[in-house]
Amino acid sequence: MSIPAEAGLYTQAVDDDKLTVSIGPQHPGAGHFRFTITVEGDTIVDAVPDPGYVHRGAEKQTEYRNYLQSIPMLERSSLTDVTNIIMPYSMAAEELMGIEIPPRAKYLRMIMSENQRILSHLYWMAIQGIFLGHSTSFMWPMGDREMFIDLGQILGGARVTYSFAIPGGVRNDLPEEFKGRAIKTFNHFERRLVDYERIFYNNPLFLKRTQGVGVLPRKEAISLGVVGQTLRASNVKSDVRIDEPYNFYKEMDFEVPSFDTCDTWARCMVHLIEMRQSMKIMRQCLDKMPSGPVRAKLSPQQRTIVGEAYTRIEAARGAMSFHIISDGSTKPYRVKISVPSMRNLIALPRLLIGSHVADMPAIYWSLDYWPVEADK
Amino acid sequence: MAAITNFEDFAKRILKIVFWLLIILPMVILPLFYIFYVLPIEISCNFNVLNCSQKIDWSLALYMFDPTKMNPLDPTSYISQLGLGATSPLFKVSTFPGLTFAALLSSMVIWYERKLLAKMQYRVGPLYAGRIEGILQSFADLFKLLFKEIVIPAKADALFFISVPFALMAASGALLAVIPISPTNYIALSPYSLLIAIAILGFFPIITVLAGWASSNKFSFIGGIRALYQMISYEIPLIISVLSVVILAGGSLDLMGIVNAQSKIWFIIPALLAAIVFYLTAMAEVERIPFDIPEADSELVAGWLTEYTSMVFGVINLAIYIKLYALSSLFTLLFLGGWQGPAPIPALAWFLIKTLIVMTIFIIPRGFNPRVRLDQLIGLGWLWLIGLSFANVFIAVILRASGLL
Amino acid sequence: MSAPPAKTELRQEEKAILEALSSKLGSRITVAYSKPNRIKIIVSPIDLIEVATCARDDLHFDQCANVTGTDFPKDKQIEVTYHLGSIEGAGLRRIILAIACRVPSATPELPSLIEVYPSVNYHEREQAEMLGLVFKGHPNLSRFLLPEDWNDIPPMLKAYRLPGRLEGE
Repeated sequence: MSIPAEAGLYTQAVDDDKLTVSIGPQHPGAGHFRFTITVEGDTIVDAVPDPGYVHRGAEKQTEYRNYLQSIPMLERSSLTDVTNIIMPYSMAAEELMGIEIPPRAKYLRMIMSENQRILSHLYWMAIQGIFLGHSTSFMWPMGDREMFIDLGQILGGARVTYSFAIPGGVRNDLPEEFKGRAIKTFNHFERRLVDYERIFYNNPLFLKRTQGVGVLPRKEAISLGVVGQTLRASNVKSDVRIDEPYNFYKEMDFEVPSFDTCDTWARCMVHLIEMRQSMKIMRQCLDKMPSGPVRAKLSPQQRTIVGEAYTRIEAARGAMSFHIISDGSTKPYRVKISVPSMRNLIALPRLLIGSHVADMPAIYWSLDYWPVEADK
Repeated sequence: MAAITNFEDFAKRILKIVFWLLIILPMVILPLFYIFYVLPIEISCNFNVLNCSQKIDWSLALYMFDPTKMNPLDPTSYISQLGLGATSPLFKVSTFPGLTFAALLSSMVIWYERKLLAKMQYRVGPLYAGRIEGILQSFADLFKLLFKEIVIPAKADALFFISVPFALMAASGALLAVIPISPTNYIALSPYSLLIAIAILGFFPIITVLAGWASSNKFSFIGGIRALYQMISYEIPLIISVLSVVILAGGSLDLMGIVNAQSKIWFIIPALLAAIVFYLTAMAEVERIPFDIPEADSELVAGWLTEYTSMVFGVINLAIYIKLYALSSLFTLLFLGGWQGPAPIPALAWFLIKTLIVMTIFIIPRGFNPRVRLDQLIGLGWLWLIGLSFANVFIAVILRASGLL
Repeated sequence: MSAPPAKTELRQEEKAILEALSSKLGSRITVAYSKPNRIKIIVSPIDLIEVATCARDDLHFDQCANVTGTDFPKDKQIEVTYHLGSIEGAGLRRIILAIACRVPSATPELPSLIEVYPSVNYHEREQAEMLGLVFKGHPNLSRFLLPEDWNDIPPMLKAYRLPGRLEGE
């Protein structure tokens, strides 16, 4: 009995060889994100991502609030990367309000941003361990992450979501005990990173699971528009901190890693090296920071000029940008967020098709897709 | 119950009745048969049925539980008379060195594994259940599992679904039956005990596929098929590595004989390659990390175990750990000299110490290894392990033929 | 209040881009503004693909970073802005070229840039469902972020009011 087309039902032919598996939103291997893979034997022949499980309409809600009120809502989208998601928003708001923030505030923003980058990478490394079946690689990064959460707590006041980089500067100044505590943490963690590299990354089983898996050649990486670690592992040395330096990154001495093997292993190594560079930047910031105010005086109902601003920064996962259109009132007219997860999502079907089912967790997580951020 | 409308339904109904009988028969009828028919024979022959010359007293079945038969000067003989004494087969099978002993040891090994992994991961592990360092954690989990509801999915085939834990427990128990743990403690003594153990290991892939298929769940099905690939690929290297030991022991398939042949030198030294192959294949047979593809919980939730809840899950897990204990004791008997060791410590204690050390070596790779991918795993089994184990067979033949060993 | 930002003069790369745009495309584009690192041009929907191809091949803007759709109910138009970035262009990495295109709200149709920049796939799909745009040539404009049972007008239009809010908010 065939169903007529006017019934409006969506039918699909069933093939005996192919098995359609839905890695659904309630799955320990997917986060809040669903994608459907069609499997033939052990090879994936089709992958269709289906985001939108946690879509909350953040962009619409910013039109009802003034610039300061939207910040707690926006920062909760990208939970492991809170400072970096509101920094371009604050920078665009400042551009539209026509103000410039004091230099000490820029240094503090840099410190918090790099701290957040380390936190995000450690979380990524923990879940990468889970996906590959390695429980120690979950426990150790999560344990070390607590040290950096403590640093964030001293500076920002909360453990996870600080609302630190507001339009006009930052919310509060650096407490006295931060510097000593930070230096101790960096010394400890730099030794631990050497251990991580030896134990987790030089493991022959890990190398077999990640080398040569999920290769994204350079030309395709550029034309598909991927960002972040995915781009840097495909032999493109591109980072918004050196392409279009903001805050005071021009005066910082750090390097941006890139590998030419373009596979999952390269993406894992890029994460590791970036953590080291983040600590280097934070040390330099703590030394070079001038004194002064940390916040420009703004009223919460600050008026803006008519126009638009497009700002971008390097978040932990890649290049994040905000496009704000303003009509001169205290509330933005349109806020459009371009998140690195959505830009990397297009690489997911491209990399999954043709690979083994068992490679799926390794490839999926190495793209560092955060579903809540992509759904806004 | 669906109505029978044609011959196909009739055949299916008959088949279902036959299968239910096959399940009920061993669980209900066999114990009753044992108590009321076999036990009187054994008691009247004094547990030596093969050389029985006495007249068999069938009426013992009626009077067996009669307390007036007890001799007041020697009460314990009544217990032996009932067939429950320490040397009776029932005691050996159920308590020591049989099922209860293995189950208790496996529960302790579960706690030990969790503690060991926790120390490797800078954690504490179980801490609160029991006075000392959470030592009663396994029993606490067992009681928790008892209170949960047994859920059989609606589309699952209930008969096969429920028969899996019984089948697994039976297979693991049968594996224990042929393994002697000291010169005087054994359940069954047979000149072919090693062969029986290897043959019983061949049951497990079938039961795993049955579990995966009967759950009628795509993820479980994929997990069951992966388990089948894994276990079958690793059975042949297992058998060939055991072959080296058999050759070195002079061709005897008896586990007692193999242990006694190690009095000069433990077989791990001439058969080192075989020991390594046996170690890797045993880890794959028990589905330990790094070989736990069938239970890969980041891809397949829990693989072929997904739909099993509460006590059913507990029984399956226990059966897998009993299999781990059985394989560790096989390793000890085949390669580490069994119960041989210097005098003041008894043989049984030596055996237990060595088995615990082997189990530790099985547990430790879980701390620092990710999972092996399926095609890499199968490649390893069919190419490398078979080659290594064959190499050791040649070494064993050369050693034996030149009279060195 | 601090002083407004200085540096209003353009550097040579921006001037070179403006020259190349006016020489190659001339009358078909209008420059909306040119700030340091940001240039915005306005084209009509008919010329969109040609201008984008020229930006990719001649001006070396090989990435599309963002697609924004904005509803202007006062002009009865919807503006779609493509932000293009450059990786391979020399010295162009800090510059973002924005191409804007206005379509009437009654018939919001414009050609899709998916042949020129494959990365706009999901961005265009999201703006299509949020604003009711139709990108001609896009292979799959089905539901993306909104739930499957959404039966209201496209939510990013100004006519859609968030439920539970008072009038005038």
